[in-house]
Parts: sequence; C-alpha cells; structure tokens
Amino acid sequence: MKLEAMAVTLPEVAGHPNRAPFTGVLTVVDEPSTKPPSGARGHRVILTRRAALSALPSLLGMAVDYAPSWDGHDSRRKCGIITHADVEGSRLLVAGYLFAKDFPEVERQVRQGLPGTMGMSWELADAHVEDMRAEIWTLTRATFTGAAILLREKAAYRNTSFELAAARCRSTLTRFAPAECVQAGATGRFRDGARVALPKRPLRKEQTWNHQQAKTWSR
Amino acid sequence: MESPTGENMVALTEGMERMESRFEAAAALFERAATLLEERESSMSGEVRKIVAAVETSREAELQKKLDAAEQQIAELRAQIETQPEMHAKSARKTVPASTAQFLAKQGLSTLESVEAGALDAALNGLSLEQRIAVKAQLLRAGVVS
Repeated sequence: MKLEAMAVTLPEVAGHPNRAPFTGVLTVVDEPSTKPPSGARGHRVILTRRAALSALPSLLGMAVDYAPSWDGHDSRRKCGIITHADVEGSRLLVAGYLFAKDFPEVERQVRQGLPGTMGMSWELADAHVEDMRAEIWTLTRATFTGAAILLREKAAYRNTSFELAAARCRSTLTRFAPAECVQAGATGRFRDGARVALPKRPLRKEQTWNHQQAKTWSR
Repeated sequence: MESPTGENMVALTEGMERMESRFEAAAALFERAATLLEERESSMSGEVRKIVAAVETSREAELQKKLDAAEQQIAELRAQIETQPEMHAKSARKTVPASTAQFLAKQGLSTLESVEAGALDAALNGLSLEQRIAVKAQLLRAGVVS
C-alpha cells in the first residue's frame, strides 16, 4: 500500500470550542465517478492519481463548505478547514477542523445522522481533460479550490465519507489516535499518518482530558 | 529582337514567378493544415474552468432547461426580425393609438403604410399646435414617420 500525505500543522489549543476535528474520504483516484459531476457536461470523470497528488498542496488550507439542503456546494458557507490530505490506495483522505461553534447545524447534521449518510465533494478549477470526446473524462491536471460536506447520495463519488471525531475530542488531530476518540471512517493507516504529521501529546494528559470530558458529558 | 541572354532572363523570371506562386500555395496549405490540427487538438483535450463533484440537482437542471428554452426563443425571435423587417415595421405600426388612427382615417389617411408629409400636414390642419405635435409624436414613436 502506498501512502502519500501532506499536512499543515496548526498550533494546539486544548478544548478549543470552535474546532471539531473531522476526517473524510474526499474522492477516489483512478476510478470513474459514480455520476457525472456538475460542470462536466454530463460526462463521468476520472481523477488520475498523478493529478490528485500534484494537486494535494492546493487542497491544504482550503475550506469545507455546505449547502443547507446538503446537496451541493455553497462557497459562501465555509464551515471548516482542511489541514491534512493523504492518498491511500485509491482513496483521497482528508482531515481538518469544523468550526463547530459557528456552525452548530453542521455538527448536528453530522452527529445526528445515520452513520455513512454524509459524504464529501471536491471543487476543482482549471482542470485539464485529456480527451473531451471521451465518454468518461480523464482529469490529468487540476487545482483543488475547496470541498463540501453533503449527503453521500448527492456526491458524484459514492464512496466518499465525512466523520466527526467523538464529541469533545477536539483539541488536536492527535485525538484521532486513541481508540475511544476514533469513529468509523478513518483507517488505521490514515490515523497513523495523522499522528505522525502532528506532534504527539503525552498519553497521560490525553487520558485525563478524555476522562474529564467523559464525566462532563455523562452529567 | 531579344538577345539569348535576355530570353534567358525572361525565362528565369517567369520560372521564379511560377515557383513563388507555388510556394505561396504551399504556405497557404500548410497554414490550413496547422489550423485544422489546432482545432483537432483543442477538441480532443481541453481546459474546464470549474468542476464540482456533486451531482446536479433537479432544480439546477430544471433552471438550465428553462434557460436553454428562453435562449432558443430569443434567438428565434431575433432571426425572425432580421429575416422579416417588414413584419417588424407592421407590428410597430400597430402601436398607433386607435383614436389617432381613427382621426387620420376621417381626414382621408386610411392607410399608414406610406404617409406623405404634405398629406399629413393637410390632415392635421384643423388641430391646434399642441395636438398636431402630439399626433406627430405618436406617429414618430410608431415608426410611421421618421
């Protein structure tokens, strides 16, 4: 298995009220989309692995947005930021923070929905199509300009996902590492990648924090 | 009588002219081929300004359909106006108020297809200056007089 990762490290702020870490599968590479994406003139598309890897730097620091109907993008509703991007196998995995305090409706939607309901969608600019006449467009070059959280059925790629880390485990992405803070959706390899990418926190401190949070929530 | 050297010069010049024209034709052919190749290349590969990995919603599709229909209708109407300028003129004449048309008919101007300046002035003779100006303005707006 080949893993290509990239990350921007944000300073850690324990118990940040506005940071809710998330992980997600943004897309799959080298595979045709399940449905034609918007703007592809009815063609399904394949984002090549090479194009995705070249475009990874453009993905970091980009925002995640959402539409109130959860069926598309709304670039004026930026509710989070992408800080990690990995290509693991054929999946392009992302991680970052949701501005949970500013957008409680997003947190609510993700947490209260059935597991696997939410997915992700990328937004590309200046994409280069190898052959415009092909039935399935092959994108050989592109720039990521953002991503959206939406209903998985509304995404052009069916195998996307969006997960928030367990409630109140939101100080850093290293909180993905302990088992109690990990929800389904992020793979072990990806968690390892995220853990390597960010400085480790002392385990004891971590456990104390989790214990305190569990107590708070049990009240 | 020309000297053999002069004949040679003429033949040489003619040959060069022929060659020049052939070169010109070849250059034009190359240019055309290059244009065709460029067109083919652009149709085969291309840049797309924006793609979003979300499926188009039914609302978007519906709006797009409506927009396409409206654009087609506009294009058809434009084409109709361009091909039938008389019809356009006729439809413009319909905007003359009925009272004006009636008044002009009473004065002997039953048809507004071609109104002569003299006849119009004669017809409006009985009206006050303001009324004449008003009628003429209406006819002007309708495109009857210019």
